[in-house]
Amino acid sequence: MRTNWSKTSLALLASAAMGLGATAQAADDCPLPGNLRVVIGSTSTGGDTYQNSSIVVDHLAEKLDINAKVDAVGAMAGFRALERSRHGNTVMIFHDQSYLGNLYGVNGYPDIFADYQIGPTVAINPGNAYLVPKDSPYQNLQEIIDAAGNGEQVRVAIQPGGVSEIGFSALKNAVRLQYPGQEGNIVAVNTGSQADKNQLLFDGAVDVINGSVQANEQYTQLPEDDQKAMRFVWLTAREDTIEQTNEAGMGDTSREQLLAYVAPNVSVPMNEGADENFTFDKEFFFLYNKDMDPAAIDCIDNALAEIYDEGGIQEQQKRSFFVPDFKPSAEAASYLEQKRDQYESIIDNLDG
Amino acid sequence: MESHWLSLLDVSIDFDQSHLFFPRIVTWVLVILLGLILVTRYRRVMPGIQRAGRVLAGREGHFDHKRFFGTLILTTLYFYLMGVLSDVFPNTGYSFLIMSVVFVLSLSLLYLDRFTPRLLTIVILNALIAPTLAWYVLSQLFRITLP
Amino acid sequence: MDILSHLTPLFFGLIAAGTLIGIIFGAIPGMTATMAVAVCLPLTYAFGLENGIALLLGLYVGGISGGMVPAVLLNIPGTPSSITTTFDGYPMAQRGEGERALKTGIVASIFGGLFSAAVLFFFAPVLSDFAIQFSNVEKFLIILLALTVIASLCSNMLMGIFSGVLGVWLSLIGTYSIMDGGNGETRLMFDWMEYHLIDGFSLLPVLIGIFGLTTVLLDAENGFKDEAAQGPISLKNGKRFSFGVFKGQLTNLVRSSGIGTFVGMLPGVGGSAASVLAYSQEKNFSRDSSQMGKGAPQGIVSSESSNNALTGGALVPLLSLGIPGDSTTAILIGAFTLQGIQVGPLFIGNNLDTWYLMIIALVVANFLMFGIMYFAIRRIAKVVEVPKYILYPLIIMMCVVGAYAINYGIMFDVWTLLIFGLFGWVAHKIGLEVVPLIIGFILGKSAEVYFVKSLESYGNFSIFFTKSPIAMVLWALIAVSLAFAIYLRLRNRRETRTTTVS
Repeated sequence: MRTNWSKTSLALLASAAMGLGATAQAADDCPLPGNLRVVIGSTSTGGDTYQNSSIVVDHLAEKLDINAKVDAVGAMAGFRALERSRHGNTVMIFHDQSYLGNLYGVNGYPDIFADYQIGPTVAINPGNAYLVPKDSPYQNLQEIIDAAGNGEQVRVAIQPGGVSEIGFSALKNAVRLQYPGQEGNIVAVNTGSQADKNQLLFDGAVDVINGSVQANEQYTQLPEDDQKAMRFVWLTAREDTIEQTNEAGMGDTSREQLLAYVAPNVSVPMNEGADENFTFDKEFFFLYNKDMDPAAIDCIDNALAEIYDEGGIQEQQKRSFFVPDFKPSAEAASYLEQKRDQYESIIDNLDG
Repeated sequence: MESHWLSLLDVSIDFDQSHLFFPRIVTWVLVILLGLILVTRYRRVMPGIQRAGRVLAGREGHFDHKRFFGTLILTTLYFYLMGVLSDVFPNTGYSFLIMSVVFVLSLSLLYLDRFTPRLLTIVILNALIAPTLAWYVLSQLFRITLP
Repeated sequence: MDILSHLTPLFFGLIAAGTLIGIIFGAIPGMTATMAVAVCLPLTYAFGLENGIALLLGLYVGGISGGMVPAVLLNIPGTPSSITTTFDGYPMAQRGEGERALKTGIVASIFGGLFSAAVLFFFAPVLSDFAIQFSNVEKFLIILLALTVIASLCSNMLMGIFSGVLGVWLSLIGTYSIMDGGNGETRLMFDWMEYHLIDGFSLLPVLIGIFGLTTVLLDAENGFKDEAAQGPISLKNGKRFSFGVFKGQLTNLVRSSGIGTFVGMLPGVGGSAASVLAYSQEKNFSRDSSQMGKGAPQGIVSSESSNNALTGGALVPLLSLGIPGDSTTAILIGAFTLQGIQVGPLFIGNNLDTWYLMIIALVVANFLMFGIMYFAIRRIAKVVEVPKYILYPLIIMMCVVGAYAINYGIMFDVWTLLIFGLFGWVAHKIGLEVVPLIIGFILGKSAEVYFVKSLESYGNFSIFFTKSPIAMVLWALIAVSLAFAIYLRLRNRRETRTTTVS
């Protein structure tokens, strides 16, 4: 986006002084168009996908000296736009929802590994969380698992068919492993936005909600007698992901406090031996048209590698509570496919 | 007693089928209302449809076929060609610019009653300037994605 | 004083620029306040939070206000919430009172805007605690209440209700989206339509198709006679504006602003419902509503004060819960996240300076809006003197931009424009009523979600009556609203009968 005037010009000056050669070279062998359209899988310009994409795309446009614009068209329209764009005029940035939607069988979600080309990963949003009301009888996640195992119904507000549901499925799976046959006591209450999930908690219509560190942290700071007060019980991110966030954490919750809610402090076993805990990092990555020119793919890989080497982007991402996570296309593809297979087995276990 | 009556209002929605629950209700209400309209206004509906048919066929009343269908055809072509052309010039808005100039010009000409040199000049200038201005401001300054 | 240091010329300059650009966006058919905010969102990154917010709030206030211009002058609502402005604004403009109608609207707008800013400033935390008492059940009832206004807005009851239900039906086409907690399945279509219709029809293209393109088609059908080609309406004759218009309108102003603020506060109910509710309540409860719909200033007053009151109202849940109240504030939230600032229940307390600056920006934007529009209106109103052979092609072109850009570049939205333009033309011919249809379309999707989710949670229809005292009050309001609509209809019928007899 060229709108980022003051910063852009500053950064341009800096890069002109330091490494004009590298920039020019990166731009030279690039079969990318002068106007790149980056569609994202979310229709919201206030959400994490847009926020993260605009950081990455700003840096990319500057590095490659092209115009690039982020369009919040949503998942379906994004996939369609990608299909039509054989020449790499349109690329997409999305996150794990892209294959989780397919795993959960949501209408319209293709198998991205078969239908598209997987591009580089760029960042993790470590904030995926589960919360209870502050005065909830459940002190931690194990108590929820035990309650469900002992025949108590636990209602969890989620958005069905994706990122919001995967932690719920893992929880259900954990109950199945510890109390076989009792997993039906973990009940999904399907709803929409974060506002809707919060509202269900305020109404007392659910016991647990899916949320995020970013959106819900302030609610956890409210006094217990406030109807809106909440408490974290679980962050799905990996321990070393949270360890990479800013030490100050988010709002009034420090990184140290956040670490108390991730595995292994919170244990959600994934398999019979209980030697491996379920974790989920919401990762953002590029998606390309299947027929996109390999040279263009390399070009974006190389440009991003240079950007991440320079280091400025990491600071910016961390400020917004993202964890920088650059993997070039090939590595990203096999990594994400592995990740997909892991979650597929959880979902299959529950179906069977 | 009361709970017995209330249980008549019980409803359970299967999540897999929940996308049909509300649309079914609305569709039924719509059908019933349509039935009511047809029953109460049967006398007015049939002649109305017949008259509309005659008007469309141009046998009755005032109906400017050239301009009405001209507008429809030009608009359809405008949208269709804009889509086609935007694959040729992706992400630049050139397709919008080119097709808008053509469209604004042809629609203006279609609507003009008399062709005096003065009017023609106004129409042509308008067709050149207005889309260019819109394209420049929206696509270049505001960076709105245009076809 | 930290705040004073933020009150720079840049701060005020950005509010002014935002207000002006917003008014222009709002005034162009097809472009909306939401779009103005979306387009300028990336700019805010460079300006920093306070200045960026100043720009966006200017755009928001300007865009909502500018929407009245095409509503009055061309019968095309500039934003969805100015639909009700067309009811009385356009008839006034046809009488040559376009300028009077617009000035009435501007004064009502600033009243609504300042009213809601005051409410926001003094009561935001209290009100947000009240707003969270509205669960799915109560939200559904609010929507039902808004739908009952169809009964008082249509000219023929049966056709009006049919049109309203048809609007709801059309809004349901597409998927029951997982974003709303649905199962993601499509309905009301054939399989081969799924490729294009998976996201359904968007509101804005439907709206500008039915109002904009349909108007063009209807005029094209009549041909353009010489006199029509000279420009549709003259501004010369007709009554001039004076503040006397507002005599006896205080109740209307306060009631409509109150409704606007309150509906804005409820996330998910849809901002456009505000002006519809306010308009129909004015129709039901004012002493003399016989002229409403035929060019009565009181209609413009209720419509414009309520849609501007929406601005402050929609900011209540945004700033005190972190939840946007309408589609425009949903984009506004991006300005905060782009700066890495989270809005939530602690936002106001932790960012007092920003909070005061936002209130200042909101108030200043309202005054600037008033200043710009009140004195520019004479020139703006001249648009009705532009010949149609120039005006109409440009309207279609701008509608294309609006339709294409509202969802950030989707070609199907442009086709939606054509489909509904043609549909609107057919609707006119067979006597369907367009306004109830649009109201149904606007409210249909949220009605479904709240209705189905309520039943999924409680499993019994009786919950809609017994959920809470609020629900019962809402039922009482629905009953009163319907009763008034029927009463007024009967009275009007009696009056027309007596006049024809005499």
